Amino acid sequence: MGITVAYSTQGSVEAAVHELRGVLSASTTRMVIFFASSAYDPYQISARMHRAFAPATVIGSTTAGEIVSGHMLKNSVVAMALTSEVIQDVKVEVIEHLSEGIAVERAFSGFQTHFKTSMQAMNPDEYVGLVLVDGLSRAEEKLMDRIGDLTNIFFVGGSAGDDLHFSETYVFAEGNAYTNAAIVGVLCPAVEFRVVKTQSFCTLPKTLIATKVNEAHREVLEFNHRPAVQVYAEAVDCPVDEVPQHFFEHPVGLVADGEIFVRSPQQTQETSMVFYCNVLEGMELSLLKSTDILRDTRKALEDVHRELGTISGLINFNCILRTLELEQKGRISEYGKLFADIPMIGFSTYGEEYLGHINQTATMLVFK
Amino acid sequence: MAGEIKQMIDRIIEQRSQGNPALVSSTRIKLVMKGINPDKFNQDSANDPVILAKLQTLVQELGLTIP
Repeated sequence: MGITVAYSTQGSVEAAVHELRGVLSASTTRMVIFFASSAYDPYQISARMHRAFAPATVIGSTTAGEIVSGHMLKNSVVAMALTSEVIQDVKVEVIEHLSEGIAVERAFSGFQTHFKTSMQAMNPDEYVGLVLVDGLSRAEEKLMDRIGDLTNIFFVGGSAGDDLHFSETYVFAEGNAYTNAAIVGVLCPAVEFRVVKTQSFCTLPKTLIATKVNEAHREVLEFNHRPAVQVYAEAVDCPVDEVPQHFFEHPVGLVADGEIFVRSPQQTQETSMVFYCNVLEGMELSLLKSTDILRDTRKALEDVHRELGTISGLINFNCILRTLELEQKGRISEYGKLFADIPMIGFSTYGEEYLGHINQTATMLVFK
Repeated sequence: MAGEIKQMIDRIIEQRSQGNPALVSSTRIKLVMKGINPDKFNQDSANDPVILAKLQTLVQELGLTIP
């Protein structure tokens, strides 16, 4: 088996890691990826996972809920072991101190030295990137923008969570736990792979142009040269004081090359709107309307299954807002069951990464 | 002469993608994420100096050479 997954709901770090080690004990394991509830001590779990699976490369993050084949979990840890039959080579770098600047170049220099090829020249059909980033850093847009400048390979990943405490999130690499940091990894898979992005929205014929923004605070002050809240309220046809009730069903989206990149409103602040990711001044956004997460995810899985013929493993970065919507609708277990026959791990994220930072989306790395 | 923005965008996409359709798409999306929507410019678009300067900076950041 090239890819195996396991989970533990044991309350102590020691017991949880012991349980995972018992299931994932392949001597040829090349890499282990794990996602852990913030209920576990981040430093302890990273150190113990590293020791348990050495000499494999071990990375991970904290979550706002964990996902494993067939199940949506809380207060657990999920892990995936990938053998050298699946991963030929992997190199991981840590980018620290995100709030002081995004030093992607140093990390990329490490990749170039390791793989003996420049990041610009890397073939996106042969290499893929993983990114796990502090979900409270507000640095994701700049990080993904710079990564996108420096390479053509696709980086997919998610923003770490902390079970909706919004206090501290952590990313893990090689036995250490980091906050205000990102883990970036370049994988050279030995099997075919695909990156999947799925969101459950359609565009409505209503356009909102961000004409005044505060980028640093992810805040839109004006749409169409008028107070943002007022324009949004008119677009969704509701009184201004009821605007937040429509955020789940009606986020806005950047439409690029026929693809929707969701920007989710977080809250109103007087007449402005704060989002979970950046909206740049001048950006033209479409009002979106939610569709069926289960139906759309099932279709995305069927499409990639048809394309690859088989799926040996899948890593799912699923937005916490999607998880909350599924919980509200009582459909959370149905979502987990979509992946029942696939070796899969994932987590509920504070943001998803793929060509940029996005919301209310699931990004996935799928192996044949 | 109008249309310099479209010309520059086309060259960025061409150089960056080297004809690979998947990279043409991803480069276009990256541009939109940066606030430059390729579909909004054509041969008749005015040469907005702010956008041209933004594209010049981008060319440098991408390590491209566009005359």
